[in-house]
Amino acid sequence: MAAATTYREPRRVDWAGIGFAVVLTLCIILPLLVVGTWAFANVWRYPSVLPQEFGLRYWNATLARADVWTAITTSISLAVVVTLISAIICLPAAFAFARLQFPGRSILFFSFLAGQAFPKFGLLVAIAGIFLQLNLIGNFWGVVLIQLVGTLLFMIWIPVAAFQGVDRRMEEAARDVGASPLRVFWSITLPQAGPTIGAAVLLTFVNTFYETEGAWLIGAPAIRTMPVLMISFINNQPVIQYGAVLSVLLWIPSFFALLFARRVISGGSFARGFGA
Amino acid sequence: MSLSPTSDIVGASKKSGGLIGLLLVAVPVLLIGWMIIYPIIAAVITTLWLRNDAGAYVFSTQTYRFFFTDGYSLANLGLTLWTTVVCAIILLVVCLPIALYLRFATGRLAVYVQGLAIFPLFVPSIILSYAFIRVLGPNGMLDILLNAAHLPKIRSPYLTPWGPVIGLVWDHIPLTVLILMAGLGSVSDASIEAAKDVGAGPVTRLWYIILPRISNSILVAASFAVLGIFSAFTLPYVLGPAAPEMMGPFMQRTFRDLYDPPNAITQAVVSFGFCIVFGLFYVRSVVRNQRAR
Repeated sequence: MAAATTYREPRRVDWAGIGFAVVLTLCIILPLLVVGTWAFANVWRYPSVLPQEFGLRYWNATLARADVWTAITTSISLAVVVTLISAIICLPAAFAFARLQFPGRSILFFSFLAGQAFPKFGLLVAIAGIFLQLNLIGNFWGVVLIQLVGTLLFMIWIPVAAFQGVDRRMEEAARDVGASPLRVFWSITLPQAGPTIGAAVLLTFVNTFYETEGAWLIGAPAIRTMPVLMISFINNQPVIQYGAVLSVLLWIPSFFALLFARRVISGGSFARGFGA
Repeated sequence: MSLSPTSDIVGASKKSGGLIGLLLVAVPVLLIGWMIIYPIIAAVITTLWLRNDAGAYVFSTQTYRFFFTDGYSLANLGLTLWTTVVCAIILLVVCLPIALYLRFATGRLAVYVQGLAIFPLFVPSIILSYAFIRVLGPNGMLDILLNAAHLPKIRSPYLTPWGPVIGLVWDHIPLTVLILMAGLGSVSDASIEAAKDVGAGPVTRLWYIILPRISNSILVAASFAVLGIFSAFTLPYVLGPAAPEMMGPFMQRTFRDLYDPPNAITQAVVSFGFCIVFGLFYVRSVVRNQRAR
């Protein structure tokens, strides 16, 4: 026993790993820490390395602004409406793609990739050209439509994988003992596919919440979401802390995505969905 | 996620299954047709068939001739191509070593590195832009630290062409690493060990064993980056120079600020043209991967 520990081969130091960890920490975490620090700095004058005074003064000031509250409610209502509509039209479609046989099934399934072959902003401009004739520019429902289209691929493809992953033998067994199709769906299919579908819904909500380009191109100036307000803070707001506080607020949905959807993203199937 | 054969377990009989299936997928499919395919075709048609003085529609390449003879448009296109190529090269140079490390390393440090490499997925680009300005902008964190070390200030990349390059690379690291790692998953340990046994050094193993096997993944990662960067809007708009500007901000300004949709749509069709090879290759790879499983 003692000999085994004494003569254990010395661990090789993982220099490459240490290098990557240090460089990535500096490049990825540090900039975000700086923003976080600015949000809680009452006074931070150049060239001090740390703020002269910490505090919540600018949280009160930011949350007292009417434009911030309008942006928060606009962003949340847009994301909720888009996610709901997307779930209502996409989940039954995903179920059909996974389970039913119908003409053109394969080509229709792959048609959701159509948007992926084109640079996104060019596509948005082409859509905006159509919306101009329909009076959907500067309109809440115009923004809903353009953001809804952006959610279709994920909301169909991830749930299709989820429905196909359900154990069919359990469904058959339930049918054999006389359960109705609806009962089978409710008690067997949904609980198994649920977690992945939940992650898809969460990712759709978060992506919609952060969607900036469609909201800016179609919605401005009447519809101001939080990212759009953030752009105007960056361009025109001399008080640095307003932008910092808004950044921290803006990051909250991402934080939830990080907590609950990381597993889906780290899994290989997510990268394969991007053609890897 | 390939479409496996279905059965009628869920209650729909074979006959009505077809109709029910089509009805269930109708709304999203029609949305794709109306909001993706129709606008693309309409964009090409409306920029090539223009209304003449008599009110009739005639074929004309006028808006395209304007784009390709206008110095400002060409400068914007040039900047966009430069940014796209530089970003794609930097992304591969940065992400390939990370992906290689993560493929062969084990342990807690590797988990931490992977977590960091994927983390930018959870930071929206607008927060990234703001963080960029606070760190690399004038009197930003880097200037503060340099000053504390009694070193001269940097020439800030903010509002120069390098601003969008740094931001876009940061933003695209996670998916590039994920795509390359998925490709490296198909390189077997046995082939690496075999090459080691016959005395192949690290460089030889990389060049003759690993790179040929992941060349497709590299092309997919590059295509994905090109599609995302060519018409990027937020990062170039916030971090880039006012003139020349990248195609994204250029299209937005032409459409909304100059009220000139025909020329904005022409710019969109031009960017479709420059990306079409990458777009088709990318979509073909996704389809092939889906079918393989």
